Amino acid sequence: MVELIRNEVQQVFRDVFGDPQLVLRDDMTANDVEGWDSLQHLNLVIAMEKRLGIKFATAEISRLKEDGQNIGTLLEMVKRKRG
Amino acid sequence: MNVCSIEWVVCLLVLSAFFFCLPSPCLRQGLLAVCNLAFVATLVPDVRAWIALSGFLISGYLVAKMLQAHSRRWVLVTYLAVLVSAFVILKQYAFAVALLPASLFHRVVAVVGLSYMLFRQIQLVVDAYQGQIENLTVWNYLNYQLNLFGLVAGPIQRYQQFLESWARLEPILAGPEPILRAYSRVFIGVLKISVVAAACLAVFDHCHDALTATEPLTRSKSITMFLGLFYFYPAYIYFNFSGYCDMVIGGASLFGLKMPENFDRPFFARNMIDYWTRWHRTLGFWIRDYVFTPMYMAIASRWPQKAASLAFLCYFVALFLTGIWHGSTWNFVMFGLLNGLGVAAAKLWENHLIKKSGRQGLRKYLDSPRIRRVAVAANFHYVCLTILFFPVGMAKTLQIIKRVVTQMI
Repeated sequence: MVELIRNEVQQVFRDVFGDPQLVLRDDMTANDVEGWDSLQHLNLVIAMEKRLGIKFATAEISRLKEDGQNIGTLLEMVKRKRG
Repeated sequence: MNVCSIEWVVCLLVLSAFFFCLPSPCLRQGLLAVCNLAFVATLVPDVRAWIALSGFLISGYLVAKMLQAHSRRWVLVTYLAVLVSAFVILKQYAFAVALLPASLFHRVVAVVGLSYMLFRQIQLVVDAYQGQIENLTVWNYLNYQLNLFGLVAGPIQRYQQFLESWARLEPILAGPEPILRAYSRVFIGVLKISVVAAACLAVFDHCHDALTATEPLTRSKSITMFLGLFYFYPAYIYFNFSGYCDMVIGGASLFGLKMPENFDRPFFARNMIDYWTRWHRTLGFWIRDYVFTPMYMAIASRWPQKAASLAFLCYFVALFLTGIWHGSTWNFVMFGLLNGLGVAAAKLWENHLIKKSGRQGLRKYLDSPRIRRVAVAANFHYVCLTILFFPVGMAKTLQIIKRVVTQMI
């Protein structure tokens, strides 16, 4: 289940950032992904909502960009939402 | 009561000296609640204002509770529409006064800090609708909205953030050094407001009076006075507002309350988007989260092909609204327009660079110290231009600009 979510999220990242080689690691942050700015962050959220059938709250979208957040916390959040 | 007053500072010093001698968080909450209420009482002018304030606060709590129980979109949308309409009428916005019947504005009440309460209220009900609010009680809610450290002019804090420290209300400053730093910060805030900002305002007043007087000025005197006006009002606002924030953030930390930072060297921003993450940061983040994000996501979900170009419109609208929130007269509309244009232009320029030289090229551009210096200087002057429309009415500002430009050419 965890790997399935990781692969799906990774595919979304690859589509949004146009990089088919992109591999996600838990410790990665927005600084490690070329082009992950505020606008792409929202495009990423929209793409994840569509592909994974989940919904992010405004406060969660904002929290994901805060210091100390990384791919690991994003995957955790997606996992919680997927039940 | 003014935050930068002897009474406020004396109360802060006396109460902070024995606050943590109170044995339990409940007692500390009780003392802070009394202080919050006493502070509000000094700001509410009459019974009508009390009634308006109570209605505003009670409605927010009830709607948030309702939305927690039943997540109904129409309830949220209706409440937000009523809230914003009431705010526009209470603030007597120039465009509303021009468009709506005059009878609506006859008996409006003035409540200090209403603008900031509105932000907190919108955040609370939206987050409640989206299932992001826990432990919503009347006690927590009223102390959140009436928190004396954020009541008058922010920082705008989320309910969830407030609750993190309010629920525990234990010392957050470990040891004498951080405590000394907090007291120093309050003292620095007092100095910023009462000495530096006051001096900047005096210079601004002198320049403004000279430029609006009927006596003729020489060309060089006109330019000098205009430059004084141009640079000293932004300096005044910065020292006044950041001084206030130093006082309330430093003061709150002495009572175990962690308030968000509001300034991060704003005059070193390289463009207007960067600027709004450094100047009045909590407002910038609020606008991003509760105006820009929902607007952009709604557009991008429906018309993904047009999302990139419509993003400029979203940037413009968000910052334009930020501008007109600052005041109810036409000069603030101009302030909003200039800010909206500034952020939209910054995004357009970034896209142009990406198109021209790719992401690598953009990174190289951003890393260049020389380009950074030029960008910071240019942005600083653009910020000063936007603030030129802040202190006096539109007609007077245009009159000053016209006078200086005529003399220059």
